[in-house]
Amino acid sequence: MKTTGLRKRLMIGFSSIVFLLFFSGMVSFVELSHLSQDTDDILKANKRNIELAKDMLDAAHEQNIALIHMAVLGDRSYDSLCRAGMERLEHTLLVAQEEALEKSFLDSLAFATTELRLLTDNYLAREAEPRDSLQRFDREGGSWYSGEYERLYGQLTSAIKNYMTSTQSSLAPRAEQMKKNAYRAVTPVLISLMVMIAIVLMLYYFLSVYYAEPIIRINRSLGNFLTYHIPFEVKGNLKDEMGELKDKIDTLISISKQQKL
Amino acid sequence: MRLNVVLRYVGLVMLFIAMFMLVSAGISYLNDVDSAFYPLLLSSMLTALLGAFPMIFVERGEQISTKEGFCIVVGSWLVACLVSMFPYLIWGGEFTLINAWFESVSGYTTTGASILTDVEALPRGLQFWRFSTTWIGGMGVVMFALVVLPTIGRSKMTLSNVELSSLAKDNYQYRTQIIVQILMVVYVGLTVIFTVLLKLAGMNWFDALCHSMSACATSGFSTKNASIAFFNSPMIDTILIFAMGIAGMHFGLIYATVTGKRNNIFRSEVTRWYVGILLVCSILITISIYAADIYPTLGSAFRHATFQFFSLMTTTGYATADSNVWPPFAIMILIFGTILCACAGSTSGGMKTNRLLLAGKTIKMQLKRQQHPNAVIRIKLDGVIQDDAVIYGVEIFIVTYMLIIFSGTLFGTLCGMDLLTSFSATIACLGNVGPGFGEVYSLGNYAGIPAAAKGMCTLVMLLGRLEIFGLIQLFFIKWWK
Repeated sequence: MKTTGLRKRLMIGFSSIVFLLFFSGMVSFVELSHLSQDTDDILKANKRNIELAKDMLDAAHEQNIALIHMAVLGDRSYDSLCRAGMERLEHTLLVAQEEALEKSFLDSLAFATTELRLLTDNYLAREAEPRDSLQRFDREGGSWYSGEYERLYGQLTSAIKNYMTSTQSSLAPRAEQMKKNAYRAVTPVLISLMVMIAIVLMLYYFLSVYYAEPIIRINRSLGNFLTYHIPFEVKGNLKDEMGELKDKIDTLISISKQQKL
Repeated sequence: MRLNVVLRYVGLVMLFIAMFMLVSAGISYLNDVDSAFYPLLLSSMLTALLGAFPMIFVERGEQISTKEGFCIVVGSWLVACLVSMFPYLIWGGEFTLINAWFESVSGYTTTGASILTDVEALPRGLQFWRFSTTWIGGMGVVMFALVVLPTIGRSKMTLSNVELSSLAKDNYQYRTQIIVQILMVVYVGLTVIFTVLLKLAGMNWFDALCHSMSACATSGFSTKNASIAFFNSPMIDTILIFAMGIAGMHFGLIYATVTGKRNNIFRSEVTRWYVGILLVCSILITISIYAADIYPTLGSAFRHATFQFFSLMTTTGYATADSNVWPPFAIMILIFGTILCACAGSTSGGMKTNRLLLAGKTIKMQLKRQQHPNAVIRIKLDGVIQDDAVIYGVEIFIVTYMLIIFSGTLFGTLCGMDLLTSFSATIACLGNVGPGFGEVYSLGNYAGIPAAAKGMCTLVMLLGRLEIFGLIQLFFIKWWK
């Protein structure tokens, strides 16, 4: 590296420290942003998961009520409500499948929904047949509901509840990632601080060796010259402005000696 | 002593290390910017800044004294180990503070012992960094930097004189500049040759390069948890046996042999002894394990016995079998190989065959002297009369070596390690071998030993790599006139 002046050396020295401070700050900022983003993602995923599960439970409940009215109480006006409930359930499932990071949690729910859809469709198809052939079926509506539908409905609601708690299972790897991000946010900063301490110590040493010491020596030698007329002499190889200062004092002393003569 | 000058040269070495970190970051980038990219890049920047800082104030061209040269060499080793922890620490995983220090020291001292229970989980960039440390350490941190960094005139001689032991310089009849170049040519040449051979034997390019770097540095780091046993290939075993054997020879003699000089490996007394010990001990272990019915055929017994003994005696530390289950006789021979180690002037650590040969000749001389009290008896090695100072130095070295083994074993047992693990870990770390027996067996690692024992192992590794007195002197630098 080419010899630089006092000002430039000091500027580079302090710039290094400023750079390190800025650098460690930036690293912290970036990593803490990641951490914050991850936390935010987890919270959002949790909230969305609960919303979707609630929608699905509502839809299933709506369809269940409609079917109770149709199969048990024989009120066929609930036909459209039953279809609407099923469609709402399937639509919400589709949205959940699109948004889910871990799709395997939705497999059992999709299976239970398909089974329920088939069963309901069969029932509604029979409901659409002429009234005469349905008389026997009307009598068996209650047993169909409790025997076939209720079992599948139970499976569906339990699959929805499993889905609702599934985000808790996916929390572990996310929390691990957050831990890693937190570690990564702290370690580089700690290392940067260590490096900075080393640089500050070196800067102190170099300032002391190259600038403070020479000034003290020049001052002492000049004092000795003025007080005791001991020849002005500074030991060591002085550089930069220090060297120039020493040379100028030398010149000044020789000029003053010449003037006295 | 001028600390500013020492700092400038240590800074140069750090810049050189930062360059290797950057190369590793490049490898990481090429592997789809794996998780090691960011830690390696950060570490490279920090190390470069730390290394470049002294150059702002200290001008080049300052001549250095032997004492300063000594401080530069030892300081560079210590600082290199410290800054090389950065990528490990930032990456995280299994690397706690003591583990990162252990892995870093183990790499530079070419010990090859690891604290990683799952080496294969490391991203390629970090893997390459591990192998880089060991490859740099094989040649010598300062020596490597001297070749790559811009010329630093007469200082090069002072520094290389400190880092190269007097035994290692025995077979060179060149100027320092040429010696450093010869070392570099042989080292890089061997690495390239064995990379190509390992690739041809069935490894992928990355594994071939890493294992070649590790074998030439006699380190023993592997990219696989099961070390070389993973490949289960007689061809790979044979190539690595050859690579380890060559890397354990004096590099100056290898150069002389290749260039057709008279002073070659075939004429070297030390090399003859070295090869003789390798072959005889391998055969003895083969007989022992074949008789114990550990291997079904004599061929497989010979393959594993030869590989394990070459691996330990050359201080490499690769493994193709679990030598923990071998008979006590075979284990004792392996321990002998771990203490003895290869030739001076190679990348291997340990006591070295040269010293054992000189010690043997001293015993013979002593016997003759008792029979003929007035006789003038000289000790010769390769036809050269050895100074009394050299003989004295060898004796002191062997005694100190044994004392360190005893102290290390004692400390290990104090930390709660069993006797075999403690003893074998101490000799394996002091000789920069790597695997020992017991808990730190050939297919195992150092993850399970207590943190204090890990610290002791790293100290012993550094003592072994810096030929014991190099590191001890640092504590007495104040009294060095």
